[in-house]
Amino acid sequence: MLDILLPTLIFAALALAALGAWRRVRLWRRGRASKVAFLRGLAAMPRRYLVDLHHVVARDKVMANTHVATAGGFVAALGLAVIVHGLGLAEGMLGWLLLAASATMFAGSLFVVRRRRNPPARLSKGPWMRLPKSLMAFSLGIFVVTLPAVGVLPSGFSQGVGGWLVALLLAGVVAWGLAELVVGMTWGGPMKHAFAGALHLAFHRRPERFADTQHGGYPSTGLKALDLDDTEAPLGVGQPTDFTWNQLLGFDACVQCGRCEAVCPAFAAGQPLNPKKLIQDMVVGMAGGSDAGYAGSPYPSQGLEDRPVGEHQGSPHGPIVAPASTKDGKALVDAETLWSCTTCRACVEECPMMIEHVDAIVDMRRHLTLEDGATPGKGAEVIDNLIATDNPGGFDPGGRLNWAADLELPLMADVERAEVLLWLGDGVFDMRNQRTLRALVKVLRAAGVDFAVLGNEERDSGDVARRLGDEATFQSLARRNIATLSQYRFECIVTCDPHSFHVLKNEYGAFYPPGQESSYPVWHHSTFINQLIESGRLRLAPGQASRVTYHDPCYLGRYNGEYEAPRAVLKALGVELVEMQRSGYRSRCCGGGGGAPITDVPGKQRIPDMRMGDVRETQAEQVVVGCPQCTAMFEGVVPPTGDEEVAVKDIAEMVAVALDTTPAATLAPRDASTPQATEEVMS
Amino acid sequence: MQPEVTTMPALEVTVLVSVGRHPLTGRARRADQDARGVELARSLTDAEVRLLHAGERDVSSDAALRGYLGMGFTELSLLEQPEGADVLPALAEILDETSPQLVITGERAERGEGSGLLPYLLAERLGWPLVSGLAAVESVEDGVATLLQALPRGQRRRLKVRLPAIVTVDNAAPTPRQSAYGPARRGTFETTAGPVSDDEEWAAWQVQPARQRPKRLKIVKAASARDRFKAAAAKAEGGGGQVLTDVTPEQGAEAILTLLREEDVLR
Amino acid sequence: MSDLPRRDPRQEWIARNRLHPRHAEVLLAAGQGAASEWQGPNGLVRRNPHAIGFVGPNGVKRIDRSGTQQGAGGGGATTPAAERKPLVEIEAPAFLVAVVPDMAGGRLSGHDRDLLGLARQLADADPVARGAVVAVIFGPHKETSFAEAGVDRLLHLDSPDVAGYAPEARLGALTLVEEAWAPRHWLLPDSKLGGGELGRRLAVRLGERPATSVWQVAADTEAVMGWQCTARGAAGSLDIRRPLSRVALALAECAEPVSETRHAAAELALPQPLPSTLSRIQDLGQVSVDPSGVALSEAEFILSAGNGVKDWPGFHHAAEVLGATEGASRVAVDDGFMARDRQVGATGTWVTARVYVAVGISGAIQHLQGIQTCDKVVAINMDPGCDMIKRADLAVIGDATQILEALVTLVAQAREEKRDAA
Ligand SMILES: Cc1cc2nc3c(=O)[nH]c(=O)nc-3n(C[C@H](O)[C@H](O)[C@H](O)COP(=O)(O)OP(=O)(O)OC[C@H]3O[C@@H](n4cnc5c(N)ncnc54)[C@H](O)[C@@H]3O)c2cc1C
Ligand code: SF4
Ligand code: SF4
Repeated sequence: MLDILLPTLIFAALALAALGAWRRVRLWRRGRASKVAFLRGLAAMPRRYLVDLHHVVARDKVMANTHVATAGGFVAALGLAVIVHGLGLAEGMLGWLLLAASATMFAGSLFVVRRRRNPPARLSKGPWMRLPKSLMAFSLGIFVVTLPAVGVLPSGFSQGVGGWLVALLLAGVVAWGLAELVVGMTWGGPMKHAFAGALHLAFHRRPERFADTQHGGYPSTGLKALDLDDTEAPLGVGQPTDFTWNQLLGFDACVQCGRCEAVCPAFAAGQPLNPKKLIQDMVVGMAGGSDAGYAGSPYPSQGLEDRPVGEHQGSPHGPIVAPASTKDGKALVDAETLWSCTTCRACVEECPMMIEHVDAIVDMRRHLTLEDGATPGKGAEVIDNLIATDNPGGFDPGGRLNWAADLELPLMADVERAEVLLWLGDGVFDMRNQRTLRALVKVLRAAGVDFAVLGNEERDSGDVARRLGDEATFQSLARRNIATLSQYRFECIVTCDPHSFHVLKNEYGAFYPPGQESSYPVWHHSTFINQLIESGRLRLAPGQASRVTYHDPCYLGRYNGEYEAPRAVLKALGVELVEMQRSGYRSRCCGGGGGAPITDVPGKQRIPDMRMGDVRETQAEQVVVGCPQCTAMFEGVVPPTGDEEVAVKDIAEMVAVALDTTPAATLAPRDASTPQATEEVMS
Repeated sequence: MQPEVTTMPALEVTVLVSVGRHPLTGRARRADQDARGVELARSLTDAEVRLLHAGERDVSSDAALRGYLGMGFTELSLLEQPEGADVLPALAEILDETSPQLVITGERAERGEGSGLLPYLLAERLGWPLVSGLAAVESVEDGVATLLQALPRGQRRRLKVRLPAIVTVDNAAPTPRQSAYGPARRGTFETTAGPVSDDEEWAAWQVQPARQRPKRLKIVKAASARDRFKAAAAKAEGGGGQVLTDVTPEQGAEAILTLLREEDVLR
Repeated sequence: MSDLPRRDPRQEWIARNRLHPRHAEVLLAAGQGAASEWQGPNGLVRRNPHAIGFVGPNGVKRIDRSGTQQGAGGGGATTPAAERKPLVEIEAPAFLVAVVPDMAGGRLSGHDRDLLGLARQLADADPVARGAVVAVIFGPHKETSFAEAGVDRLLHLDSPDVAGYAPEARLGALTLVEEAWAPRHWLLPDSKLGGGELGRRLAVRLGERPATSVWQVAADTEAVMGWQCTARGAAGSLDIRRPLSRVALALAECAEPVSETRHAAAELALPQPLPSTLSRIQDLGQVSVDPSGVALSEAEFILSAGNGVKDWPGFHHAAEVLGATEGASRVAVDDGFMARDRQVGATGTWVTARVYVAVGISGAIQHLQGIQTCDKVVAINMDPGCDMIKRADLAVIGDATQILEALVTLVAQAREEKRDAA
């Protein structure tokens, strides 16, 4: 009886799964073309799974082991079951191996059950709640039906009426398991993540993300350029099919684990964004339908109840965001959802499925800005300023060095070559950041560094324009900056703005004229100062006994992996460093990235307020930062009544006041203005 | 576009647009008031809006004019004129020909003489009424437009004007929508040659970048040297403000009231 | 008692010595109550600047610090300064300079006076052939000082046709003036509504190419009309030097207003009545806009609330009484006390108010950015060290609730008195 039922079930399930796979692949193929090295990708898949994916999963030890047992057991059990039961080859060890595999899987599924008993809010419910049962059904069913094959049970146990019933029952259990775990894999059940996830790893849109880590580098984080010369290509993503096919595939890989939701600052602040829901909405759009089936946390909503599910719907060729003309109309997602993101990459960092949320969000923003002209808040104004004055504030581009009139900064235009090109950034127009810049200049001079600035030749790096979706303005700024840079000779670029740093380092490469490439390293000032300290060029007089905490800027940490240098500098300063609970790669965003302060989508609270709450928890006297945005965001926080204000200091300021000014250190003879600068910095 | 719906003929609106100039960098851009005019036109229901520019076409003006296309237009009519030409005859001719019901312009151009005379000349030439300083067009019914004119202090005046008419927009008119790159890039220029007339007077004038105007000194009609000295001294210390510490609320309020009266903002 | 002044050297000495403890008292006695300085009820020295000084024989106010003047000034019958200015009459003018002032609020504005000053320059340039300044004004007015502002002839056109927004009827009237007297110059203020518009209409009607945004006029014998002018062009970014045109639209401060002389301001009448024109523009009157609801970017007077405001009904009441538009800092908006469209600053609205009163706002850079172009900033704050105080033209240190209350009381009182007086 089972001899006939089992192979039928197994092959029927496999056939159905194949059919489902074909349909799913067709859905993905609706997306735009994207160059992928198919074979190389498939070959690299196991490594990407075992190393890169597990690197993320392993942050949760219990879950990692659960997954290894369940998924490993399942893959082995399915493969063996096909041989043992499907083909009837139970020879030798095979049956025993199958038993072992299904037993392992069963053990794993027990942990899954336990986790689902009181699931945290970030986990989706709905069909996901039955998954542990399905896992148990499959593993248990296969285990039992395999017992006769290895002779533990007599092969005739299913004879007779009772036997028949038992056989039918077992077949039913196995069928349930197969339906969920094999058929559901390609027909859209919770197990879809396994099928799509495996292919996603193989055909990932950022293969360099894996290659880089393989060579000890840092994963690629720069945004992909939009080809503006191709007038046929859509400007960004306005409908689901405007995504590339492998992006669509990537959305399908989501396991709804909600790790992204748990770390998303916008979600925590009650802004209408939940990265998990966003990815699920993309899946809904790709297949067509409404979001009513979504069973996780919805998008938060200011002051009110959370935004209910079921009101939004989409289709592969329908708009993602309702056009402005359809007033209070709804499409797949609301524009506010897309504009709430600070591009902090916390979600990408945490996503076990290697999904690239930020790429998708910026792609959709590109459409809103470039096609619809619908950048919200002050976005349009900032972009207009960037076009007309090359800086977001609309300041006179001829006044970039006004703040430094007394510093006599050497200009690249005069000296033409220098050891360091100091990239000042748009902070030159901001009084607060000018203090940081003064401090940095003082430090560089104390170390005798030969540096020069571009002065009025410098433009905004284009970071904000790009995150606001204005790829055209970004590329224009990038190309002009590159042309300026290529006139001069320098060994490296140093900047105290992580956003400029990231863009110069990771995103300008694509815009060099053919035959040229960027030939210089770019350093964040914390890294460079650390190098100066390590090489003995900078002498510090430690002894600042204050208790500080350090905030990792997203564009320095998660985007570029620099967590150590600032901490090393603080250590050299001899201050007491207390870490916030969320620091390093889990650092919580200050709320200043991605143009979020410009689009200013309202939430229940403000992101910087939450982060300053983190700071207060450490009872530090100062919070040390390395980014003008972070400084501005933190200084804009009004402390809760009764609380003292926590000082916000850039790391350059910390170093500048600790310079060892005993005679040996006066290395820079040119520096006539040091005493004055000191005063400025200390005040 | 079902034909049976279009029983009411669309309101034909022409917006005159010019190449603007950023006040700090001088870079070409869409002129602010003209863009407001375009926005005003877009807000009219059932309007068929046409953009019209008379002037030179080169790289920078091209980019600036595309700024208007980026507000959601597929084409812009361009009357090609050499630099420094008097664009009035060409514009008057084409408006006469196309006879729109409503012509919207900004108050003054951001380049050239910028005298703000053009709409008046056009109105005189076409014999149309002109209304200046609009904040909004409330409605257009039976060839009569109801308009809101901007007055100082955010006040408004309601006017009715018989069409065809020329209107100029005030800075209180709605902020122009963002110009999007996509439509700006795709939009086309429909170029026509118009009559060209040189502006000889303009060519004869001396033009230079604006000088800072001298700040008017407070004239002190003081007979005694002592008063003159005091007045001069008062001027010099003018930088910082006055800070009243340790005063009663009444005294503080009195000081504030005095300032409000001086500035004449109390009604 | 005799009217002969009797001198008391000691009293005079005390009157001269401002540090003498009885100084004020003596002055008070000598000046019959018109002291310019006294001690207020709470110890603050108060001054009445109007009581200081006296008007000299040529109409110029003089202040004598010796102290004696305080007592003596009140003596003779004081004549208002205006009547002391020499009267200049031009009986047979060689030509006319027509000025059409804006008369905003029924009075000559500063801009109008500057223009009249310019008109005088043009009229008086040649002492042998002096011109007369004609002011053409429309509708009812409250102005009494045309003579002091330099007007020789006053043409007052008051008919319902030219009232309100009636550019076409006014243009018709000006054309009659042109026909009747053909003024050599037409001067109008280049203001937004009013002169700027009427002047352009007039120039176009007369077929003149007007100089607009004129800010400087200088004699130049080479030029057509004997004058050269400098006018702003290209949105204020260019200076255009050109001969002065017959119709000229001038900016404020284009010339000094008349101050030393008095003129006839003789009434003039049109030789024929105003034709009644059929206007194509119909004025339906002013739409009432509640000051608190005015768009922030257009508001002239803003009362702005920050985190330091504790009494919100009191704040709204104050805004209402003062007739101010309400603004807010981001904190006040975040905390839900004010609507989002009321936020002033980097991420809110950039305002251009003439007076901006910041109540309990600390002056964060993002907030200050939004008020960069405000003329006068008043700060009400507890913390004398905060950045708003540094930006403010007038800062009052104290509790916002109390100060606003006091302000409301004062304004209400002043209104009351005005009503009683009327
Ligand atoms: C990117 C970014 C953009 C921002 N954009 C804006 C913006 O557009 N607009 C804006 O306003 N802010 C903006 N901010 C916020 C800004 O940094 C400040 O946090 C905010 O302006 C402070 O508001 P406040 O002055 O009302 O509050 P506080 O800083 O708390 O100041 C309250 C003031 O009230 C005084 N006070 C307290 N009690 C009394 C009393 N009883 N009587 C009188 N005075 C009293 C206190 O002395 C203090 O000076 C932005 C911040 C960031 C980071
Ligand atoms: S996107 Fe990634 S992190 Fe977020 S729920 Fe899906 S799998 Fe988890
Ligand atoms: S990048 Fe940051 S803000 Fe944006 S969705 Fe991810 S976690 Fe949220």
